[in-house]
Amino acid sequence: MVKIILPAGWTEGRRAEFDGTEGLLPDVIRQFAADNPAYRHRLLGPNDQPLTYVNICVNDELIPRYLRDSTVVQPDNTITVIAPMAGG
Amino acid sequence: MGEMLAVPGGTFLQGSPSWLLDWLDEQDQPLPRQWFGDETPPVSRTLAPYRIGRYLVTVEEFGDFVRKTGHRTDAEEAGFGMVYGEDGWEERTGACWQAPGGAGTDTSGYHDHPVVHVSYRDASAYAEWAGKRLPTESEWEFAARGPQFRIWPWGDSWHTDNANTAEYHAGSLSSLQGWKQWWSETCRQDGPMPRTSPVGAFSAHGDSAFGCADMGGNVYEWTSTLSALYAEDAVCDPTVRTAVGRYRVIRGGSWMNFRYQIRCSERMHGDPTGWSSFAHGFRCADDG
Repeated sequence: MVKIILPAGWTEGRRAEFDGTEGLLPDVIRQFAADNPAYRHRLLGPNDQPLTYVNICVNDELIPRYLRDSTVVQPDNTITVIAPMAGG
Repeated sequence: MGEMLAVPGGTFLQGSPSWLLDWLDEQDQPLPRQWFGDETPPVSRTLAPYRIGRYLVTVEEFGDFVRKTGHRTDAEEAGFGMVYGEDGWEERTGACWQAPGGAGTDTSGYHDHPVVHVSYRDASAYAEWAGKRLPTESEWEFAARGPQFRIWPWGDSWHTDNANTAEYHAGSLSSLQGWKQWWSETCRQDGPMPRTSPVGAFSAHGDSAFGCADMGGNVYEWTSTLSALYAEDAVCDPTVRTAVGRYRVIRGGSWMNFRYQIRCSERMHGDPTGWSSFAHGFRCADDG
């Protein structure tokens, strides 16, 4: 199962780790947003694409924006979502 | 403007003591303890004497830099800037330092406000042009609090009128929902313009231990320091840990924040690869 980690500031003390599905990275994010609509606006733009200003790491590797569409998330991977301003 | 204050060197404990996190836990604020974990444990830092800007760099000063160098900011190159609209953060077309609320807005009346929509590259370019540099994180914190720990730049007691925060505009706030209600009403009335204030507007009562203005609130401030934890085993937000080694430290909080985000030891971490917002600015430092 894919693990998805959100900033604790987004979740305000609620759980910040979620299960996700494998697949192409944008699809994984879209599916997560569909399953967790409270975070949709933080992850997807009006065009249903992952927001460009939000950074995404897969297994601690920052995925360049130009590689997002072709990045495949494997079942045992961890996705970490990093806001452009982290912490605070 | 452009005034530099001499800060004597010294050794101090940078960061927050554990009692400060206990205190945050007890306050009526929504964020979990681990959110502040990157401020701990305190670490000893020794600084040589340096100088730091008494004021944030203003729209007028940045405009002078742009006129003389032709610099184009990352937001101008991208064609949009980050603005918090009624529905959250958005890439607003045309938003940049000259149009902080997006296309159709301007900086009339803002000449003495801190410049916003400046990325790490933009801030660094200005500082170099001015013969200065960005402060390190340690220099920033020392200038804010002095050698002894204090919660806010002016001391340990909260005073709403000492800093430009969301609470200054909206009154006491304790929840994100309350903040959103204030901001939605403000946006509907005036549009999503930054609620910055003239630099030094809260002096002298809001000044720091060494006399710097606006070190709490007004705009978030870039520092030159690459994000790092104070200790590898610090219990902090996993996404902050992932930003380590990639982001640059941001200090001071902004007009968007509650009192808890404008503390002297509060740390944020900003993406230095071109990102900025309508609440981000900077001040300069030099070696004196």
